[in-house]
Amino acid sequence: MTRTLVLAVLSLVASALAVLVGPALTGAQGDFILWQLRVPRVLVGALVGGTLGLVGAAFQTLFANPLASESTVGTTAGATLGALVALALDLPGGFWTLFGCACVGAALASVSVTLVAGSGRAAMADVLLAGITVTVATGALSVGLQYVSDSRALVAAARWSLGQLPQVGYDGVLVLAPFVVPAWLVILAEGRALQTFAFGEELSESRGVNVGRLRMLVLGAGSLAVAACVAWCGPIAFVGLIVPHLVRRVVGPALARVLPLSLASGAAFLVLCDALARSVSPGRELPVGVVTAALGAPGLVLLLFRGRKT
Amino acid sequence: MTKLCLRAVGVRAGERTLLDGASLELGPGEFVALVGPNGAGKTTLLRAALGLLTPASGSVTVGDAPLASLSLRDRAAALAWLPQAAAPPDAISARATVMAARYRFRETAATTRRAADQALERVGLVTRADSPLTELSGGERQRVAIAALLAQEARFLLLDEPANHLDPAQQAETYGLLGSVRASGVGILCVTHDVNLLNHVGHEPRVVGLARGQLRFALPYAAPELPERLSGLFGLTMLALHVGDARLIVPAPPGAPSSGEPSAAPSPAAHGAER
Repeated sequence: MTRTLVLAVLSLVASALAVLVGPALTGAQGDFILWQLRVPRVLVGALVGGTLGLVGAAFQTLFANPLASESTVGTTAGATLGALVALALDLPGGFWTLFGCACVGAALASVSVTLVAGSGRAAMADVLLAGITVTVATGALSVGLQYVSDSRALVAAARWSLGQLPQVGYDGVLVLAPFVVPAWLVILAEGRALQTFAFGEELSESRGVNVGRLRMLVLGAGSLAVAACVAWCGPIAFVGLIVPHLVRRVVGPALARVLPLSLASGAAFLVLCDALARSVSPGRELPVGVVTAALGAPGLVLLLFRGRKT
Repeated sequence: MTKLCLRAVGVRAGERTLLDGASLELGPGEFVALVGPNGAGKTTLLRAALGLLTPASGSVTVGDAPLASLSLRDRAAALAWLPQAAAPPDAISARATVMAARYRFRETAATTRRAADQALERVGLVTRADSPLTELSGGERQRVAIAALLAQEARFLLLDEPANHLDPAQQAETYGLLGSVRASGVGILCVTHDVNLLNHVGHEPRVVGLARGQLRFALPYAAPELPERLSGLFGLTMLALHVGDARLIVPAPPGAPSSGEPSAAPSPAAHGAER
């Protein structure tokens, strides 16, 4: 219980303090940087990181697989492909076209995987395989698309696909919140069903869980929220995979704690990674996706090895 | 009086017939032991009774209601299941494990928690409520699973070899616990390979024999012809040994007279050899 509180408070404080990272702020220009650059950036980071953490934790339970995450069920790949189509074809309309295309791509990928999940008694391994298939297929299409697109579009696509948070003003918050916050609520409301589900699909059914409905709700809500995040920031790796693992290490596997804490810690993790990204080399910031990957990959390897020993 | 009724239930998997016209009734406070060789369809019968698979023919009803007409939560109020292959133990606490069985109740977490602790109390594990399952022995984990069954507060319990992999003391303890649950008015249908454990139930169970998907017999546990019927069911000679008021039914050792005739007089040597 204490550990739960400590982790929750720590996540909130860390996210708030991230606003202060960077050069000291003074005067009107300082106010502008604080309220129009740093605060919205932290808020978007928290929305995205929280979504990735929560959805990762929920998917890991739903697929009964510690390696399941939004990127394993094809959502990230679908969104990436959609956005790359917009970038490579140089479609007019700026960001909103990119956003729409990414959402369509993610939705198509997720829906195809969700349909497999919803088609009667498909095994969880089937769903995971379908997700991986979609990922590989969209990956190949993405590469093909980059091959035929011109160099300017290629650079834009490459930049986007690194994953980054910079922005001015609150557009990102206003765009993302209506997608991700309802999805959070849906997933958190299904926490009890997910916990029951964790003891086995048929056992949970005998205890009153509507497994088909649970899958559709969690996969649907999670995929939509992740699609919005990926469209806005590009694919950000490892958050959905590593944050729930870290949370479980601290508070144990009970989902009543793991789900809300994956949300809070995912938010803090991404916000801190972004603070690191913009302060590691002054004047030239790293894309946050590079930082999460750089921290996440060795972290995951470490977790795998330590997990094996116990 | 609400009864669980299976009427001429048939289950197929492709070409194979897993269950062929099986009929069974279970009332409140009844204990029915389901026995049969491996692959006889015992688990299939439980799964059909739970509505986890849809029978190709026949019907399953709880009281007057066909199982298929009940909502999943109402189904969970009628029937609780202890599957044979328990999930590998997780580091999740005993209490959280039991709490998950109360999904059908729309109640606060505090209420769930209280009910879970009461169930753990009944199986004598309330002091280990916070222990992760990984730190419990096999017998303790099985008691947690039974506490979860109790916490679901269903009218009927369907158990698949609940004493599997337990040592003799824990086997006896498990069946004693089930006996006390039955005495509280719950109907129990229990798959078992060891009918002698039924001595610990403290009530005369019914024994139902299943082979190749068909019900072969349904007898009171004390029926004198039970050893003979079990011999036929398993295809090997079973002998009855009388120990005090109790009767043990054991496979005949190699070289024993294979008349299939239950021995009336127990020899102390046979007694000693069995326990």
